[in-house]
Amino acid sequence: MAGDGTNLGPNPDLQTEGWRPDADPEMLELQADAASARQTEELHADAAAEREQRRQRRYLVRALLRSPTFMTGMVIVLFWVFMALFSAYVTQSPTNVDAAASLKAPSVAHLFGTDELGRDVLARTMAGARTVLIIAPLATILALLWGGIIGLVAGFYRGYTDEVIMRLIDVLLALPIVITSILVLSLLGTGLTIIIITIGALFTPVVSRTVRAAVIGEREREYVMAARLRGERSAFVMAREILPNITQPIIVEGTIRLGYAVFTAATLSFLGFGLGPPSPDWGLTIANERIYLQVAPWTVLFPALALASLVVGVNLITDGLGRVFSK
Amino acid sequence: MLRLIGRRLLFMVPTLILASMLIFALAEVLPGNVGRSILGIYAPQQAVDNLNHQLGADRPLVVRWGTWAGHFVEGNWGISPVQKVPVRPTVLKALGYSVVLAGFALVVIVPIAILLGVFAGLRRDSVLDRGITISTLSMTVIPEFVSGVVLLWVFAVWLKWLPVTALPPDGSPFYERFYYLILPAIPLMFLELGYIARMARVGTVQVLAMPYIRTAVLKGLPRRRVIFGHVLRNAMVPTVTVIGSQVGWLIGGLVVVETLFAYPGIGQLMVRSAQQHDIPMLEASVLMVAVLYMVANLIADIVVALLNPRIRMGG
Repeated sequence: MAGDGTNLGPNPDLQTEGWRPDADPEMLELQADAASARQTEELHADAAAEREQRRQRRYLVRALLRSPTFMTGMVIVLFWVFMALFSAYVTQSPTNVDAAASLKAPSVAHLFGTDELGRDVLARTMAGARTVLIIAPLATILALLWGGIIGLVAGFYRGYTDEVIMRLIDVLLALPIVITSILVLSLLGTGLTIIIITIGALFTPVVSRTVRAAVIGEREREYVMAARLRGERSAFVMAREILPNITQPIIVEGTIRLGYAVFTAATLSFLGFGLGPPSPDWGLTIANERIYLQVAPWTVLFPALALASLVVGVNLITDGLGRVFSK
Repeated sequence: MLRLIGRRLLFMVPTLILASMLIFALAEVLPGNVGRSILGIYAPQQAVDNLNHQLGADRPLVVRWGTWAGHFVEGNWGISPVQKVPVRPTVLKALGYSVVLAGFALVVIVPIAILLGVFAGLRRDSVLDRGITISTLSMTVIPEFVSGVVLLWVFAVWLKWLPVTALPPDGSPFYERFYYLILPAIPLMFLELGYIARMARVGTVQVLAMPYIRTAVLKGLPRRRVIFGHVLRNAMVPTVTVIGSQVGWLIGGLVVVETLFAYPGIGQLMVRSAQQHDIPMLEASVLMVAVLYMVANLIADIVVALLNPRIRMGG
């Protein structure tokens, strides 16, 4: 069977009948040597590439740490993440009703005052971060996942596949996102999972557009050609060759979508398509307490300012990332 | 130019048909059983079947869409089963209210945003530029109901400069209406401000790098004429495009602002119909919003073409 290409040993010429290279101790040794030499060489190349990558990453991290925009955003967002996780240990209970202390102005006992049921507004404001911080990141991850796959496929194959996918996306974008989510949520009912999936699905078209554009910029590069000539499968080329090279636009798109996801999640809960009471969610609280705006403005203003700070924080991160990456 | 408009109008037809199918599918397929979703889970099966037959919900989907779309084109939009009023006048009246509010917001904010953006672009990378960019961006990303309640508290409750409601009492003169619209319009203005200002800034920065600006400056044109005659005009193209593409967010903003201020526009009608499962009202108002959205994009395209001689002359 020598030389027919189906049984490629280390050296096809030596494959004579009855002689097996893996049975010859000398040959085995030679083979091992060659293999280890090849390995070291590859290791060297890999190590160099890795060092380069690490150096770049260190540079990016240092640039981000020095960006005041990025760091301000980071501090604000991390504060709210901390509060979402640990507010129970820091403040009073957000659902503890005290009818005697209804609508009390801010005081030492209640720094942000109390709402109409005598619940501590400080505790509710701090705990209110939780729902938004569950919905928005998960919805963003879903959108990145789906949009990433669709964008990779459309941008990689081009032609007919691309045409069909992009036309479908145009139609999905023909309706404003808030409108479509209201339509879907009013008909399917609400709940954390449905809200996350709806927002994720509605953000998918925009993400896939961004990813597609990035893929089209990469697909004509030499390394993609090389991988194809090596005979790699399309899925491999997309996932292991192109994807690592378009992480920066995907990260920036992700933070942009995260900002919009916070915005959309809060808006939906304000409109009554989110969680119901007694959740301390900011949007819901503002919707329910706004009738007390004239007598007890603190019940509305503190959650409003909290939500505003979170949204601005996420957008400062986006702005900082975009600035550092575009340098 | 006319050919361009004609082509864009023609392109709107398939998009509109597909959008109407999407709305129809969302409203009629997702809830599964239309009769059940109107009557609720405790209604007897017989009543649900009867209502389904009466509504035609037991016929094939394509037939139902065809009938619905046909009636819609004829102007027969049906009667709301919840409010017991004809859909068309209700939706069109609400749409009129919304167009007044959104139009007022746009007319005020577009020139301000463009001026701010051009100003920032002319002083690129200065403190002023960073200040304008960050503050307009923040105003844009804060949800409208947040800026809305804060503004309500500051101007209506605390300072008492502006009314709490969005509509004047019946019988007030016409111009009174705008005084009442100021407060609801500001969150919508914030929403648009950031994007328009940012595009105007980017446009300005790009135009300033063009050789013809250098020529204009070197041949001794006064700075004002360079800015108004060359920079502003050419920076307008990306700016107008972004105004068109932001209409979707403006409509989303209308939904929120109208709910917050109890303003009887199409956004409030849509939310109420969605909450009450008023399907004909919901379908009609969402479809009208889609039409509005596409018309706004068409207008933006036409204005861009008017500003850009290459498109204007080339047809």
